[in-house]
Amino acid sequence: MKHEILEKQGTSIVMFKGEIDLESSPAARETLLKCFEHTGNVIVDLSEVSYIDSSGVASLVEALQASRKNGSQFTLAAVSEPTRRVLELARLDKVFTLYDSVDEALENQA
Amino acid sequence: MANIPPGGERRNSHSFDRRKTTISTGHLELLSKMSGHLAVTLNLDETIQKALDLIVKFVKAEGGALFLLEEKLATLVCKASAGPVDIRGIRVKAGEGIVGQCVAENTSRITRDVQQDPNFDHSVDKSTGFQTRSILCTPMTVHEQTLGAIELVNKRTADGLFSDADLLMLQTLASAAALAIHNAHMAEELVEQERFSRELELATEMQRSLLPDAPADPFPVSGFNLPANEMSGDFYDFFELEDGRIYFSLGDVSGKGMDAALLMSKTASLFRCLGKTIHEPNTLLVTINRELCETAIHGMFVTMVCGLLDPETGAVKLANAGHEPPLIHARDGTFTALPASAPPLGIMSLQAGDTGIRDEEFNLDGGALYIFTDGVTEGCLEDGSRLEQAGFQDIIRERSELPAAARLEAVVSILSDTGRKRHDDITLLVVEDTRPERHNNEANNGRGMIIARYTFPARADALQAVRDVVNNACETCGCATEAATDIVIAVGEACQNVVRHAYRDNEEGDATLEIYCKGGILEFRLQDSAHPVDREKIKPKWPKELGPGGLGVCLIHDIMDKVDYLPAPEGQGNLLRMVKSIKRNDNNET
Repeated sequence: MKHEILEKQGTSIVMFKGEIDLESSPAARETLLKCFEHTGNVIVDLSEVSYIDSSGVASLVEALQASRKNGSQFTLAAVSEPTRRVLELARLDKVFTLYDSVDEALENQA
Repeated sequence: MANIPPGGERRNSHSFDRRKTTISTGHLELLSKMSGHLAVTLNLDETIQKALDLIVKFVKAEGGALFLLEEKLATLVCKASAGPVDIRGIRVKAGEGIVGQCVAENTSRITRDVQQDPNFDHSVDKSTGFQTRSILCTPMTVHEQTLGAIELVNKRTADGLFSDADLLMLQTLASAAALAIHNAHMAEELVEQERFSRELELATEMQRSLLPDAPADPFPVSGFNLPANEMSGDFYDFFELEDGRIYFSLGDVSGKGMDAALLMSKTASLFRCLGKTIHEPNTLLVTINRELCETAIHGMFVTMVCGLLDPETGAVKLANAGHEPPLIHARDGTFTALPASAPPLGIMSLQAGDTGIRDEEFNLDGGALYIFTDGVTEGCLEDGSRLEQAGFQDIIRERSELPAAARLEAVVSILSDTGRKRHDDITLLVVEDTRPERHNNEANNGRGMIIARYTFPARADALQAVRDVVNNACETCGCATEAATDIVIAVGEACQNVVRHAYRDNEEGDATLEIYCKGGILEFRLQDSAHPVDREKIKPKWPKELGPGGLGVCLIHDIMDKVDYLPAPEGQGNLLRMVKSIKRNDNNET
């Protein structure tokens, strides 16, 4: 798994690429939690994620919990089909805020 | 005026002379007031009394009575009475007396002086001491249907006589009253319907409670009942005897109405009660037959199968009275039908033994016994054709790797998701030989072709390669892309669990994944050589604030059709067996 971070309008846009599994999810988790230290809101671009397992989902959940704690926003954008499938199976697709694109997610930032 | 008796005038409500008497604004106010009063009551008796009281008050009569038609419109019965004499309950034949004639001819009537009217019945006055001088009477009609009539006596004036204006007012008020009575009638019917459907609901609930609870897995017997309507004429039941044997039964009562449902309840109760002491299936059926014949309901009968399974040996003793032949699905894949040895129960006296109901004895030997009602074999498929025994066998054969309950559900959903109205109840029972040694043999023999065997170090960085192996295997078997994605998720989670949990304290080890394919069924066997995991602790968890552990197991169970945690055959380690039925990708099938 690789990742890129962009900052726009005080929001971190994190783009993960590849597979988020047991091997890479600790890195994903750390990346996300660090973003909350720098900026307020975080948007995760999941368009290039070809696989995510329960440990990867757990990293996303942990980031969501962190955002709720400090009152910032955490949204998922451009969720790839494999990722969406896992979120659905885990009944978490309604827990996260999902946008079709990063731009749409940015527009909806408070 | 020749045919009108002296002192009396008939008024057809349609040809009433409106030039002489018109409705004043005062009348309209009264009308709206009365309609308002009546609108709030939906209780019939209350409505009737209230309507009469209001009319008597508004028309300023000394008394009055409201009659409704009963007994197929042949009799008028006084339902409400106002004034000095209570005449409720008085019955008048339609066509007789002033009230009867009003109703029969659907005309209003003003009798200024009853003493001159030969139709007047003096008996009431004589028995009550009341002196009737003048009568107003009008029928109550709604939608051209006459409900009854209202009769008023004696105007509260010096001469006590009614005027044409009074009659017009009575007619107007009577229409409002008729409408209110009609509404109350409908409300009562509605309440009655509600009450009936509530009772039906309770009866349905009661009947469902007669079916056994789904047993804790694994249990050798499971069943399914899907009624076509609220109440079912089918039943199944099973229970364990003290010696460990399991009694099971399935029956179908002729007919489909409430009577069939009640007979079903009775038969099911007899099975449960008598089965506790009678441990020969044919003798049990003979005894139930005797009970049913004693209280025979004309033309109704019950087809019924009952049997005993010894789960320790797989031996079955089975008796069949007039029921569709149950099927044995043997381990080698063949089906054998077991036809009835006797006619249905409830018709004639039957003996146990060769001349009557026989006990068939056989051993399941790792196979399964299916008992079902004709709602299954005669059930319609999507194209309108019947499932028949052959279709049933195909469904079962294709799903032999799935757990019994899933096989039954597949049959039911194929028959119920057709978009067609079902006419018969669907009821099935499966009895299996679940002895572990039989099962393992079956699994070893019946796994099918091996697609892949891959051994990997139990480390996080090895998981991606495992997923590639699984994905390739799915492709090889012609699995659709969506299904393959799901399978990769599930197997990935299973492997992840081995990495995370099986080898603890930096212990290093390998795991082996085997993938088999047989007739559209994929079987995955993941084995490690770590310390045995407490299988009780591997339960799907869906915590609200998630940790990853339980979620992975949940995903596995969600995606796979069957998940078993088995002890590894070599003694050391754990074996996870996952089975998934796949839809074949047609392009790859050649």
